[in-house]
Amino acid sequence: MINTKLLTLLTLITSMFILSGCGASYVTKGTEFPKMYEQAPRSILILPPMNESTDAEAKDYYMTTTEMPFALMGYYTFPTEMVSDIMKQEGVYDTEVLYNMPLDKYYEYFGADAVLFTRIKKWDVSYMVLASSLTISIEAKIVSTKTSEELWTYTGTVVVDLSGGNSGGGIGGLIAKAIVAAVNTATADYVQHARTANRKIIHTLPFGPYHELHLKDQGIKLVDQTPVQK
Amino acid sequence: MRTVTKTALLSIATVGFLMSGCSSQPKPLYNYGEYSESYYHAKKELSPDSALELQKAIEYSIENATDSRSARVAPGMYANLGYIYLKGGKTDKAIESFIKEKTIYPESAHFMDRMIKKIEVAEGKTND
Repeated sequence: MINTKLLTLLTLITSMFILSGCGASYVTKGTEFPKMYEQAPRSILILPPMNESTDAEAKDYYMTTTEMPFALMGYYTFPTEMVSDIMKQEGVYDTEVLYNMPLDKYYEYFGADAVLFTRIKKWDVSYMVLASSLTISIEAKIVSTKTSEELWTYTGTVVVDLSGGNSGGGIGGLIAKAIVAAVNTATADYVQHARTANRKIIHTLPFGPYHELHLKDQGIKLVDQTPVQK
Repeated sequence: MRTVTKTALLSIATVGFLMSGCSSQPKPLYNYGEYSESYYHAKKELSPDSALELQKAIEYSIENATDSRSARVAPGMYANLGYIYLKGGKTDKAIESFIKEKTIYPESAHFMDRMIKKIEVAEGKTND
């Protein structure tokens, strides 16, 4: 009798532990982004982000965080700053114009197989009576320059509790407390958290031609990244 | 008091375990050094100092490229360096870097050739 109870408890604890470890998986890379495997783009042209947040500086800062993670996934990434400069020299200053340009132009001018569009949905601190929090939300999209099809898209959201003090215990509370100390000097930390949002986004991306797992990762399960509603 | 300490310890251990489970990584594909941080600093406060810091970070990343899983210079690094030379008027060194970029990464050839042609056209004009 006692053994059964113990076993049940143990099973419960174990399953909770496994579930909490990396979240629940719903899909695989292969079923979610089949076009990424069909077209297998080698190069990605990273365009300056479209800033839809209330922070005017977010665009410049976020722009410095995208090149590395996409290159580390195995793609050839065109140097972001240089590309942005060259576009300006060609008379295109407005991101809106860049985002509405016919995609074959990017193939024609740069020879890029695909373009990465990023939208900064949120980049702000909200102050409330009992707590304040930082929210960074980024939507990323890779589109083919040959077929204009969307090959991959994902949104990463990071919510950081800035209130410190009693953040309710549990694992979330512990992590939040650990982060709190670093959240005083605003912009540098925004970039830090933007990188975290990028990590959430990037792990769903199929590996590129310079990575050992190129076209071998269709079976990798994707973690549910649905943001926690506050 | 004792129980609280125990619970805290257990929680910390759990967090540590969970974190290591999700993010243990081998050596990165490329060695970027301080590139990302320097790029951010240059963007935040553009000055001769921050520009130099960025150039140094790019040079460091190129010089230490073998200390990575690919042992290759990261994508865009030679292009970045070439572009810095170009802005500084060192066109020969710029072309040299652009050629290196497209030799390592043929994906960049179209763009690099375009840059090299731009320089040649501009120099042709100045020679007139």
